[in-house]
Amino acid sequence: MSAYVIRRLLGAIPLVLGIATIVFFVLNLAPGDPVSIYAAPNISPDVLEQMRRNMGLDRPVHERYVRWMGAMLTGDFGVSFSRNQPVREVIAQILPNTLVLSLCAMTLAFLAGILIGVFQAIRQNSAADNALSVVALFFYSMPSFWLALMLILIFSLYARNIWEWPFWFPASGMTSVDHAFMTPGERVRDRLVHLALPSISLALVLAAGIARYTRGSMLEVVRQDYIRTARAKGLPEWRVVLKHALRNALIPVVTLLGLYLPFLFSGTVFIETVFAWPGMGKLVVEAIFQRDYPVVMAGAFIFAVMVVIGNLVADLLYSVIDPRIRYD
Amino acid sequence: MSQGDGAGSLLHVSIPVQKHAGDRSDPYPHPLDTEAKMETIPSTGRSVRVLAASVLVAVVAAGCGEGTPGERSLRGMPAFCQEVLPRVDAFLSTFERPEGERYGGTVVVGAIGEIADGMNALVSSDYTASQHQTFMHLMTLLQVDEALEPTPYLARTWEVADDLSHVTFELRDDVFWHDGEPTTAHDVAFTYLRATDPETAFPNQAFWDHYVKGPEGIEVLDDHTIRIHIARPHAEVLDPWRATGIMPRHLLEDVPPAQLRQHPFGTRCPVGNGPFAFHQHRSDESWTFVRNPAFPEALGGPPYLERYVYRIIPEQTTLLTELLTEAIDVYIAPPADQAPQIEAAAQAELIAFEFRNYVFVGWNHRRPQLADARVRRAITMATNRRQVVDALLRGYGDIANAGVPPFHWAFHEGIRDELAFDSDEARRLLDEAGWREPSPGAVRVNDAGERLEIAIKYNTGNQQRQDIAEIMQAQLREVGIAVRPQVVEWATLLNQINTPDVRDFDGVVIGWVTEMKVDDHDLFHSSKVDQPYGWTGMQDERVDALLDTLQLVVDRDEAVPLWREYQELLVELQPYTYLFFPERLAGVGRRMRGVEMDVRGEWVHVTRWWIPEDMRRGRGR
Repeated sequence: MSAYVIRRLLGAIPLVLGIATIVFFVLNLAPGDPVSIYAAPNISPDVLEQMRRNMGLDRPVHERYVRWMGAMLTGDFGVSFSRNQPVREVIAQILPNTLVLSLCAMTLAFLAGILIGVFQAIRQNSAADNALSVVALFFYSMPSFWLALMLILIFSLYARNIWEWPFWFPASGMTSVDHAFMTPGERVRDRLVHLALPSISLALVLAAGIARYTRGSMLEVVRQDYIRTARAKGLPEWRVVLKHALRNALIPVVTLLGLYLPFLFSGTVFIETVFAWPGMGKLVVEAIFQRDYPVVMAGAFIFAVMVVIGNLVADLLYSVIDPRIRYD
Repeated sequence: MSQGDGAGSLLHVSIPVQKHAGDRSDPYPHPLDTEAKMETIPSTGRSVRVLAASVLVAVVAAGCGEGTPGERSLRGMPAFCQEVLPRVDAFLSTFERPEGERYGGTVVVGAIGEIADGMNALVSSDYTASQHQTFMHLMTLLQVDEALEPTPYLARTWEVADDLSHVTFELRDDVFWHDGEPTTAHDVAFTYLRATDPETAFPNQAFWDHYVKGPEGIEVLDDHTIRIHIARPHAEVLDPWRATGIMPRHLLEDVPPAQLRQHPFGTRCPVGNGPFAFHQHRSDESWTFVRNPAFPEALGGPPYLERYVYRIIPEQTTLLTELLTEAIDVYIAPPADQAPQIEAAAQAELIAFEFRNYVFVGWNHRRPQLADARVRRAITMATNRRQVVDALLRGYGDIANAGVPPFHWAFHEGIRDELAFDSDEARRLLDEAGWREPSPGAVRVNDAGERLEIAIKYNTGNQQRQDIAEIMQAQLREVGIAVRPQVVEWATLLNQINTPDVRDFDGVVIGWVTEMKVDDHDLFHSSKVDQPYGWTGMQDERVDALLDTLQLVVDRDEAVPLWREYQELLVELQPYTYLFFPERLAGVGRRMRGVEMDVRGEWVHVTRWWIPEDMRRGRGR
């Protein structure tokens, strides 16, 4: 097993470096100029030229590539052009925010998605199944930023100003501005209420998809002979469903988990924008617009690594769920 | 000036949707498990519990790892900050809290973007950054009053030599950096040297084009007196001293100029001397400042507010919600279409004030169809700009005919109603210029058979500019001009219009923000045609002569007639189709008092904002 993991990881190195190289050249050869955000009349071209020199942009592309690659291999992602801060510092500030949000969202999504999927499968074609299918499709096809705005409207604006509920959710941010003055208990509560709307709007869309997969794969499994056998030998129904059927039905869901793992790190620009959640998605998208090459490169590198790891984790999980899958 | 792309919300960005892989379930389900075997493998339920617990741990850890209440953590900070920030805390805590019912409370300001380049005045040119630097965190030598006349600030007095060869400033001696060091003439000299050093790449270096740059330009007469030499007279010679915050020599002297930009001073631990001291910056999330209790009484004393939080909320709908749910107290620059909602709300009110930007369509006179001023005038007259202002700005704005804003002393009242909407006159001008309609309603052609077709470019994600291009398309079609709106990504667009040997555009919808001093040299002087902003390519001797003279006339009474002539000339030549001066809006929460804003910016009176005691936030005083 460990030999397999090492083999996979070694194989991934040229892949990740290849991705980084392609992104580097595509980015650097695309039109646009990092210092153009400063461009304005009465800013002389000499000043912009000097800025480029100070940022190291006056060197030819291949030279910059070698320098960037060399630095990156030692863990140095350079200095962000638009934030005037080492990229490593920026990411160290932003990445935990994304992790908290997407971990919450994914936990919610997989919990809810699997539960709903199982429920639908065992009540196949019932009214509840049909209703849940409609609801799932409704959320699945909904743009997440729109859902997010609706949640803000209902649980924040209307809840507070129109319906005057005793409790409403904050519309944005990770903590309230008084956070630093709170007791530890209040801080945890403060974090959770700020997490609620963004993670629910992310999770609803994900859960809808997961529920569909789980339902489909459960339906296939419950028709198998060994399920009938399990029932025949008198096992309680919940045991048949949860232990015998669900475990076998989880393989496609695990594939999904592997696919979603990079998302833990990439974040989603829409949700982050709507909820003013300072995360990786917005960081990288803004960096692309500003031609902040070091940040984009660091982002691309991290995502590439996560895709590789996500796939590996999914493959390893198959062997946990299905003992016949062995990696030797 | 600076270019605003006003990209607005990011919702227009399209992001690839996560794709699900095909179903990879094993076609051969494994046979019945025995109960015993089941127990050796972690059950789904348990792994879910583990996952849920780990989320909770992450949240709790994030919640607890922040030190004692009200304090910031120095963990992970660069060494410079670890050294400097405790000194600031120590100095500020030696002062008493000011007494008085207005003192106290936290204001939360919400805005769409980061404070780009932070508090480092030597590398920034961003509007929000410069507002925070000059009115809150740093001090400038001078400020200007509502009539834009200079008033004392860090400089107690100043004297411009009669022959305009130098200016001497006498500084206050009661101003301290937030770490306790006194602010002296050496700081001013340091700031000047770095700002004029090409290595620094200070974006606004041109501020000092009329001064003697470098060490020769500056004489420190004593700790609080400094003289700066002027190379060429200029009408607004004092303006740079209003715009540039003085920086601390004792902290930054050893930093090589080329590395000032990335120094942690800018965004991690700035130390200023203004009425507010830096407390904390979280990237893309917030900036927190606290009252500087040592701020001189003679300049109004410490600010009323205890704490000031600038929150970055990138979506305007969310910003509006936060204003209406009173999570933010001031909403910076809401778009005009949110104005009615803010006006109607019980929780907030709307402030509108004149500002320094204008929106226009820049024409490329190198294109044969746009070379004739009559065609450009016709285009302006065929565009119903009143309707544009009413529809796009909901009336919060003024029609523009030249780049001098209405609040400015040089504004020419007489051209206000020029080039009003008149399609008949536009048709006449086009006929006169040789563009005739082959049949009624068809696109005009000239004698050479060329069609009067224009592409108007605008940048991605800017709804207002898209609307303008589309409105013009419809209205110009009425007089026989075919307009094709064309959307281009911002950085690419800049490249197309700014690169002298490219200039790949006919017209472009864009905006300028002017400084307090108006100077169109870079836009219209014929010597700048091959510089980045010589978009129009206009070469006109009368314009050149006026631009050259206007720079030199110090006396406003003498300058006004020349400014009038210049603005009349712009109306005639229409190098741009000037569209409007939008007013700037702000949403102000009902708990706020003393929030006044004017053309100098949102933050001009921030030290006088206050919150009645019973309306303050629960914690953090």
